[in-house]
Order: sequence, then structure tokens, then C-alpha cells
Amino acid sequence: MITAGVDIGSTSSKVVVLEDGKKILSKVIIPVGAGSSGPARAFEQSIREVNLSREDIKRVIATGYGRTHFPGADQQITEITCHARGVYELLPGVRTIIDIGGQDAKAIRVGQGGIVSNFIMNDKCAAGTGRFLEVMSRILEINIEDLADLAALAENPASISNTCTVFAESEVISQLSGGTSREDVAAGIVNSVVGRVAGLVKRLGVQSEVVMTGGVCLNWMIIRMMEKELAIPVMASPMAQLTGALGAALFAFESAR
Amino acid sequence: MTQLKELLSTLEHVAKHPAQVINKCLEDKRLMIGCTPEYCPEEIVYAAGMLPVGLWGGATSIRNANQYFPAFACSLVQTTLELGMRGVYDQLAGVIIPAHCDHLKCFGQDWKVAVPQVRFIPLAHPINRKLEAAVEYLKSEYSRIKSVLEEIGGKPISHQDLSEAIEVYNLHRKTLREFTLIARDYCTTITPSVRHNVIKSGYFMDKLEHTQLVNSLIGELKKAPPEEWKGQKVVLTGIMAEPKEILDMFEEYGLAVAADDLAQESRQFRTDVPEGKDPLERLARHWSCMEGCSLLYDPQKNRRFMLKTMAEESRADGVVACIMKFCEMEEFDYPIYKKTLEEAEIPLLYLELDLATPSLEQVRTRIQSFAEMISLKP
Ligand code: SF4
Repeated sequence: MITAGVDIGSTSSKVVVLEDGKKILSKVIIPVGAGSSGPARAFEQSIREVNLSREDIKRVIATGYGRTHFPGADQQITEITCHARGVYELLPGVRTIIDIGGQDAKAIRVGQGGIVSNFIMNDKCAAGTGRFLEVMSRILEINIEDLADLAALAENPASISNTCTVFAESEVISQLSGGTSREDVAAGIVNSVVGRVAGLVKRLGVQSEVVMTGGVCLNWMIIRMMEKELAIPVMASPMAQLTGALGAALFAFESAR
Repeated sequence: MTQLKELLSTLEHVAKHPAQVINKCLEDKRLMIGCTPEYCPEEIVYAAGMLPVGLWGGATSIRNANQYFPAFACSLVQTTLELGMRGVYDQLAGVIIPAHCDHLKCFGQDWKVAVPQVRFIPLAHPINRKLEAAVEYLKSEYSRIKSVLEEIGGKPISHQDLSEAIEVYNLHRKTLREFTLIARDYCTTITPSVRHNVIKSGYFMDKLEHTQLVNSLIGELKKAPPEEWKGQKVVLTGIMAEPKEILDMFEEYGLAVAADDLAQESRQFRTDVPEGKDPLERLARHWSCMEGCSLLYDPQKNRRFMLKTMAEESRADGVVACIMKFCEMEEFDYPIYKKTLEEAEIPLLYLELDLATPSLEQVRTRIQSFAEMISLKP
């Protein structure tokens, strides 16, 4: 049986196509999300790659911020529930998930059988989210993927506020014009996100094992700083930003069975 | 069944279109007094022959009230002042504004200058409310309000008027308590928003009339056997469960309301005005008798135990904290009851609400995730 999970985030669309709830047939990431052509394109591409049509897919579950607006879905489940399911499949020992999304951050407690037993969401401000990293990378004139490497070269990480993106933006500009090195500013940016999100995780209660999901977990510097901040090892999800789509595809398989 | 539908639609109509009821009141030449959150002595207004009208803000954007309030004032006071400044409450003969929290303290002062056409009637409750001196003090506050209302209405308010009003209100309280108990057995018919509208409509109607309608509703509900409910049930706590879209989301994700601990709902009617000889003293003593609200001084913080018992007795699958954004009163209580509920393994959702700028998609994710969480719970 073939099922699919479509995770429509605010900045990207991710699809996982699964056979019999086990074998990943295709996975696609398109860097545009809710409200764009991204979700439809990602879905099309994921089934085309394996020569399938929509009729071949027994069940499609949409998740993520744009889940309610994806016309091809049979059901919608939130990214919180889907990330927990995806992580449980990949790393069954995980109890704490940190998911830094495009415009919010979540700390999720995974209970028995991969079921969420508690969660906290931060969506008040872009501070502590992927959007924050994006805005700051633009000021530093680098690609977001290069932020970790730049931050690793810091000698004296700058101190950058983590309460408001707009203030942080002007802080970064004034630090740069005041002569602080780009490396130190980059490290300050990473610290800022980590500080904000770690606060969220501490509120939930840190329980081993801890994993990070979402695109931000590809930033190895954030993982390392998070470990330091939480004083516990933190892993990156092997499927990074595809973890939620995997969870959705698994739910689709379980409910269609 | 038709009768049931008619009753529900009447109550829903009143909750959604209070202006029509108010126009009727104007035609009847009955004066109206606005009663702002959270606790006003409506019985005195009723005893004066006037209609107490609940003013609990509304879904509107802020264009004028921000001249008086900083951005971090709760949307309940901001939207109420906004509507006042736009002239929505001009038909009222006065408005009673208590000073339970810092925002309400400013609100009263702001009202005086921002909405001068509607007379401001201040009210300050005693904090240390269990003392006899507190009852005496509050009685003097109520006596002052009574004099203001006598002046507005042009006629005295007798002891008998007050005692009769208390009876009307206590009967109304009893009826709403009965309704909330019955409602949990008819979750398909009494959806979260239907339940809310039944209670909310009482803020715009004569309490006698509302009592009759709710009584008939209870009678109609009882004619059918209790409905089977396949979804989950939650207890709502906080100041109020608005904007209305959130209640629709509860319904969409299979959540029914088992019981509530909301200031706009059950906290208003779960405690009767006590017996006694002097009606003003009885009203003042009511304030000492109420329990379990963030606005009531309670050094033992018994609300946490009340909530736990409420969730257990109503067999709720979880508790939803409807926290009005920037409401410190509720925020202070939250960590205390969170700990108690966690110890009892009762799932709890923190839902931050804003009447003026609701970010509903994030709220949707929270509600849906919580519904998924409690429905999948092993
Ligand atoms: S909601 Fe909270 S802050 Fe607002 S008026 Fe009520 S008690 Fe005060």
C-alpha cells in the first residue's frame, strides 16, 4: 500500500511517499511553503519520480502550517503529532523533540508509542525561529547554510537580544558598523536562537534523549550550542526537515490499513 | 425537537445580536447600565428597574483606544474602550467598572475622559475579602452605587426591590448551574459554541426571561436520552473563551466542554448570594464567599484543587487554559494549577487569546494538537 505525507511549512514544502509503511519511495523538498505553488509541486514531483499517479496513493495526510489548505489530502494532522510519530520511527528512544520551524518553535514531549504527551509552542515573535536566522543571514550577506561555519570561527561571540527580531536586526547592524567581526556576530545570532528555544525546552522539562528536527537541525552549530545550553546530548533527526512528512505518511498508512 | 431548536436559535440570536434586545429596551423606556468584567453587583441595577448589560469587549481592531492604553493592555479592556469611543454604548445610562486588576484600574479612569457621554460608576472591591471589615467596606461601596442608580433612575431602591432582585439572580444562577450539568450529557446538541451562547445571552436579557428560556431548554433536552459522545471532553478555565472561532475549532476537532471555570461563565453563577437580612450586606458577603478565581485573593490558591476536582468529576480528558493575552491575573495562577494538574496527569493546554488581533492559525495548531494528543493517549 502506498501512502504519502505532505508537510507544508511556512517556508518549505516536504513530501514523503511510503510503501507499506516501511519503504521510502521518494522524498521531495521545495523551498516555498504555505500559500504558494510549493505544496502541489512537491507532491507532483514526489509521485512522478516513482511513476505513480494520485490514484495509486491510498491515503494522503497533510501536516504543517498550511495543512488545512492542501486540496489533495484525505486528512490533516498537526506537525506536532507528525514530528513525534516520525521521530519515534527513526529514533524510538527520544523523549524530547525540538522543532525550529520557519515561524515558530516547538518543544514536544514524546510519550509511549510515539504519542505526544505534552508540547509548548512559541509563535509570539520570529525570534528563535528559522525566519530569524534567515533575516540575520541576509544582513551578513551569506546563505543561511553557511551561518554555522561562519559562527564557528568566532573569537568573542557578540551578545544579541533574543526577545525581538526587529530589535535584534538593528542590534546586528549596529554591531557590524561598530566593528564587531562577522564571525562574532554570526555566533551571537546562533546563541540568540539557542537561548530562546532552550528556554522553551526547559519549560517543558528536558528528558533524554533529545532530538532536533526541521531544517534548522542541519545547522551543526545550533545543535552543538543547544547541547551546551541544555547540558545534554542533542541529536539531529536523520530526516531533518522531512521528519514531519514521514510521520504523516506513517499515520496515513496506519489509518488506511 | 423543533421547540429545542427554536430555543437554541433564540438564545444564539441574542448572544450574537445584543443590539436588537437593547433597542427593544429603549422602546420600553427601560434604562440600561453597562457592567464590565469581571464582577459587578448587577442585582442593584436590576432592583432599580434597569437592565444590566454585560460589556465583555468584542472582536474589533483598535484604532482609538490605543490613545489611552499601551499595547500590552489586555484586549478585553482595549476593545471595550474602543467600542465605547465609537459610540456603541451611547444608549447606556451609565457603566459600572470595577478595579480588579491594573488594566481595569486604568480602564475606569480612561473611560471618564474617553467616553464622557456614558457616566462612569467606579467600584473598588476589597482585596482582603474574608474580613468582616471587608464586608462592611464593600457594603458602603454598593450603597454608593445604589445612590448613583437612584439618582439616574429618579426613584429610590427599596430593601424589598433588592431582596427580590437577589432572588431573581439566585434562581438564574441555579438554572445555569443545572444547564451546565445537563449540557455535558448532550455534547452533540450542546456544542461548545452553543453552550457559550446559551450562557452569554444572559448578559443581554432580563434575568427572569433568560431563566425561563434556559429552564425550557433544560426540559426539552431531558426529553431525549443522553447523547453518546465519541470525542473528547475538556474543562475550560480562564477569563473567557472568545473569540468565537476558537469554540468552533473545539467542535471541529471533536472537543466538547465538560465543565468550565471561566469568569464570563460559571464563575458568575457557581456561588449564590448568601442568605441574610440586609440585602446590601448579602451582596457584599457574596464577594467573600466566592472561590477559585484569579481575581479573588486566595493565599492558599485553592483554585488548583477546584480545577483538578472539576476535571475528575466531569470526567474531562484535559483542561484548556484560555488566557487572555497580557492578563497577569490569570498568568500568575497558571504555573500553580499547572503543577497540580501535571501531578494528577491531567493534560493541560495553554491557549493565549486576543480579541483584537487573533492569530487563529496558531491557535488552531494548538487546539488540534491537543485534541490529537488526548485522543491518542494510551
Ligand atoms: S482579562 Fe485580565 S487583565 Fe483583562 S480586565 Fe480581566 S483580569 Fe484584567
